[in-house]
Amino acid sequence: MASSSEQEPRGMFECQLCGLTVPYSYVGQKPPNTRTVVLLEECYVLKDPFSSDKDKFLILGSQCSLCSKLVCVGPECSLFYSKRFCLPCVRENLSAFPQEIRQDVEKRHALSKTGSRKLASRT
Amino acid sequence: MASSRRAEGRGRWDWGCPETRSRLEEVFFGNQDIIRRGSEDCRRFWAFFERLQTFQKPKPGPAAKQLAEGPRCPALAGLPATYDPRYRINLALLSGEGEPGLGARGQLPRDQLAEFRRAVLHYLDFGQKQSFGKLAKLQRERAALPVARYRGHLLQALREHQVVVVAGDTGCGKSTQVPQYLLAAGFSHVACTQPRRIACISLAKRVGFESLNQYGSQVGYQIRFESTRSPATGIVFLTEGLLLRQIQREPGLPQYQVLIVDEVHERHLHSDFLLGVLRRLLPARPDLKLVLMSATINISLFSSYFSCAPVVQVPGRLFPISVIYQPIAKEEVPTSRAERLDPRPFLRVLQAIDHKYPPEERGDLLVFLSGMAEIGAVLEAFQPYAAHTKRWVVLPLHSALSIADQDKVFDMPPPGVRKCILSTNIAETSVTIDGVRFVLDSGKVKEMSFDPKAKLQRLQEFWISRASAEQRKGRAGRTGPGVCYRLYAESDYDAFAPYPVPEIQRVALDALVLQMKSMGLGDPRGFPFIEPPPAASLETAIVYLRDQGALDASEHLTPIGTLLSQLPVDVVIGKILILGCMFDLVEPVLTMAAALSVQSPFVRSAQSNLECGTARKPLESDHGDPFTLLNAFNAWVQVKSDRSANSRKWCRRRGLEEHRMYEIANLRQQFKGLLQDHGLLAEARAVPGDSYSRQQRHRQRRELYQLKRQHEEGEGRKRKVLRLEALDGGSSSGEDAEASGSQAGGGAHRMDIQDVKFKLRHDVDQLQAAASSAQDLSRDQLALLKLVLGRGLYPQLAAPDQFNSCRKDSDQFFHTQSKQGAVLHPTCVFANNPDLLQGGQAEAQEKSLDRRDGPSGQHQLLAFVSLLETNKPYLVNCVRLPALQALLLFSRSLDTNGDCSCLVADGWLQLQLEGSEGATQLLSAALRLRARWEEALDHQLARQAQPRGEDGAAAAPKTERKAAAALGRDLLDFMRSKVSYSIHRLTALEAQNLYVGPQTITAAPQLPGLFGEAALTPNETKGGYTVTSFLTYNCLMSDADLYSDCLRTFWSCPHCGLYMPFTPLERMSHESSCPAAPDKDAHGEQEGGGPARGGGCLGLPGQPIRPSCGATSAQLSAHLLSLARGQRGGGGGRQPPGVHSAAGLPL
Repeated sequence: MASSSEQEPRGMFECQLCGLTVPYSYVGQKPPNTRTVVLLEECYVLKDPFSSDKDKFLILGSQCSLCSKLVCVGPECSLFYSKRFCLPCVRENLSAFPQEIRQDVEKRHALSKTGSRKLASRT
Repeated sequence: MASSRRAEGRGRWDWGCPETRSRLEEVFFGNQDIIRRGSEDCRRFWAFFERLQTFQKPKPGPAAKQLAEGPRCPALAGLPATYDPRYRINLALLSGEGEPGLGARGQLPRDQLAEFRRAVLHYLDFGQKQSFGKLAKLQRERAALPVARYRGHLLQALREHQVVVVAGDTGCGKSTQVPQYLLAAGFSHVACTQPRRIACISLAKRVGFESLNQYGSQVGYQIRFESTRSPATGIVFLTEGLLLRQIQREPGLPQYQVLIVDEVHERHLHSDFLLGVLRRLLPARPDLKLVLMSATINISLFSSYFSCAPVVQVPGRLFPISVIYQPIAKEEVPTSRAERLDPRPFLRVLQAIDHKYPPEERGDLLVFLSGMAEIGAVLEAFQPYAAHTKRWVVLPLHSALSIADQDKVFDMPPPGVRKCILSTNIAETSVTIDGVRFVLDSGKVKEMSFDPKAKLQRLQEFWISRASAEQRKGRAGRTGPGVCYRLYAESDYDAFAPYPVPEIQRVALDALVLQMKSMGLGDPRGFPFIEPPPAASLETAIVYLRDQGALDASEHLTPIGTLLSQLPVDVVIGKILILGCMFDLVEPVLTMAAALSVQSPFVRSAQSNLECGTARKPLESDHGDPFTLLNAFNAWVQVKSDRSANSRKWCRRRGLEEHRMYEIANLRQQFKGLLQDHGLLAEARAVPGDSYSRQQRHRQRRELYQLKRQHEEGEGRKRKVLRLEALDGGSSSGEDAEASGSQAGGGAHRMDIQDVKFKLRHDVDQLQAAASSAQDLSRDQLALLKLVLGRGLYPQLAAPDQFNSCRKDSDQFFHTQSKQGAVLHPTCVFANNPDLLQGGQAEAQEKSLDRRDGPSGQHQLLAFVSLLETNKPYLVNCVRLPALQALLLFSRSLDTNGDCSCLVADGWLQLQLEGSEGATQLLSAALRLRARWEEALDHQLARQAQPRGEDGAAAAPKTERKAAAALGRDLLDFMRSKVSYSIHRLTALEAQNLYVGPQTITAAPQLPGLFGEAALTPNETKGGYTVTSFLTYNCLMSDADLYSDCLRTFWSCPHCGLYMPFTPLERMSHESSCPAAPDKDAHGEQEGGGPARGGGCLGLPGQPIRPSCGATSAQLSAHLLSLARGQRGGGGGRQPPGVHSAAGLPL
């Protein structure tokens, strides 16, 4: 029964960039009920609501390794390249990243323009 | 192993080799791992893996590119200098690493292991991205719902007020979001009512899903047979009826903090009543919050009903819809009710759509028609057009369709083809079909209305209301801009009523009144309904309940009424259940009661199917429809218990809707539980089987649970593509595959989730035992069962028309007391075999050709469950009963002439018995039986009312059971009694001049004292004497012999051999008290204990009255009076003989 209590929501995760608000059930690098997977950063984790499997988890987000903002893993907010970076920090330090990442960020920028329109419509 | 070595030997690694895969799975996909061997996930991984392989093939070597600039801040210092996609994954895998003893591992080369590990990581990362994408989309959609902007407003209003009305149109998201807002705001113990069961399930699932299962088991539903509710449940979706039952049990509803009543604008009987109950409850529970949710229809009504509750109005989300009025030309309007609907105006709209919109532009058509017949007419006209143009698939949608056929409307048409759904108003609110762009509205609806005078339900066609018209129109604009064609003029629309008539104003209110009484809500006439029902409906209901014995004269609940109010069924069905318990007929009665409470399992369309008809034949019972239903259910259970048999196929072959069978099984189980709870039925002791069979059963259940879980995981019927060529209303590809699969014998192993649920819920062996016991019901049991049904259904009786035997089978007419010329429902067994009801008539015909209602011993009456008027009044679910016996046993009013050879039952059926001797005998026997039956019933109910003791105070005491068995035997004897009689429906004129009227000679002491203690009053309206509550002696006008009741003829008692001159009454009185009479003993046995029950008994038990000459009539009657009054307790001394000529007429 310990496992079920670990699934209980512990609080709300809120992305400081996009405002996505989701309850989380675990923070850390070893999600509950999983033995063979570790996370390479301290993550806010939720039991995967789209799976009936108890040990399936869903990573919601973590802190940006530069500015320490809490950000979600959505492509408009952050990326992972051996560490978590929020997109504003990536853009600021674009030159520090390899070409592949730079291209990717540009691509995301183009995408997020359409995305932000969507975001605007919800308020 | 050999093959892999070969692969290695050739120096090429083959990822596709099954053995290689198997070994990799062994290493990476163990029980502890995130992906498990053989799982769905594992299969998906391999598919992903293959795609990854092809994608990664042209992989350029990692060209080490120096970064343009050195890292500026220390946090960036640690970034890997060379790019590799794996740095973008925030997961690491421990599987297959550093675990010694993996025998196979040695054979897997290091590089390949590393590559595989990377693939697994990519797969996991991909899964994360996918799930997160879904999550973000879900949140976005929730936030974009119109209601989301009103969240704060709503919560604020609810904090400040006890009642809040949320008004919003379809698609605004109130039903799914408001409960979540409440939970998130810290409210708990929320109940949300829905008018439909199906909505409870789907909403609970949706809300659980949307809230990301963060509340886990906290979101549940509760409907009649299913509940996912647990102590942790924070919000429960339930039906209005169920919440009312909960209030009935605990009037304060302590288990809830917030109640949400959804769809109040639909104005269902239960929701209107619920609002009334809640309005009364609120002052007593100031901490209880109430949220009413409604479409934007008549909001002020709800707000003002709850002392001007604040309204949160949410705009709907509809795309613009253009309205085209196309009134039907005069010559195409059907002139009479019988005439069929002209489909031409409908067809023109179909053509217009084809003309105006290219087939590439998708969008389906939803046609609203008033009923099944209209759907049939339009379907017939549309199909040739659809077949010709190949641009349409036409599908009917109404509640009488099988579930599978109903589901077809959700299937997709092939590209370039539109779906055309011909629907009743079921698609107005209950069923939402996506993809509808065109709506065609006939403007008509068929609605049940209730005629309180005839106690008749009528299905009539009406114009819809403006609110309905708007609702129908709105169905075209859910997914994009739409078009609504209205087959009426704008002026018609303006003349429509603003709102539909609430249900409470057009249905029978028996059940409602009963429930109100049991909830202690006082006089229903004074209840503050939101809009009161017609006074006449309430009166009818109260009178009906009084007639049924559920209410007493002062309108208080009787014990039987209390019990009936607990049973969630029609009053008559409830009565049948209670009566059935007495005679050890519980199993068949449970099935019948359940079967009569659900929709008929017989599929209408199979009616004309010859094969179905033949296959159904063996199930038919010539006793009546309830018996046919009993047979069908029992046969189905037999099929179910046979593991190899396919019950679904069995049902299809017989034109039976299997879903109804499951409902019957569930319902009968619920009834059984209720009867046990109320002590009417002893609880079956669990048979302690041996440990082996217990284990076996346990294992079976575990397997079933697993199957159920599997089903729930693979949830959701996948949309199928409709086939164009299917002419019979369109069939979907998957279904035929299934059918052909089961024909081939193989492939039939597709899981039937209904079957699994059924087997989990019921002990099939137990059901089967009950079914087979019911299959060998003896003739006696059958006859008794009929009697139970008859008594339960009374006064719903119909008499065959006297000229039926000269009519065609289909033209048989029947008359109830208040409705002339009813016909049998075509599904009724008697509709095809009318001769079953004509035993009496045929026989009579032989005797005398001119009087078809002439004397016979075989006359039959029909007891029916409901009377439904559509184009004709139909009797639904009939049982046949021997007329004379049924009337003698059940009639609420029996009037006799002087020698009891003429009887009038309930003022409408006159029975002329041949030979007054047999008549009096039969009458007195009936009186005794009725008294005993009442008494036995009272005992049974008294037992129910007692608090239940330790071990089954429920079980009837032995003596009581014995008495019931004896009563059963005597009732059967009575049913078998052969008396020749004629039956005649009184004409209005005859009925008017039926009674002699009040007697002026009050002093004339006849012999009424014979009938019992309460029996001595002259009847002030009918004349004659009131003998029991139902029997009035000698009040009938008689054109025959005025003096017959006073004439003595010589008679010898068949029991004691006494031979004397008697008047008919004296004879009866002697018989009822003759010590040698056969049923005296059984009766006397019970008499010993308690006081004799009044009313029913004819004569005073244990006190034989022997006629002798000598005493004067005055002496006699004085004597009888004292006897009746003074010795009510029974067991008094012997009565000196003395009965004398009453009228003093010389012989």
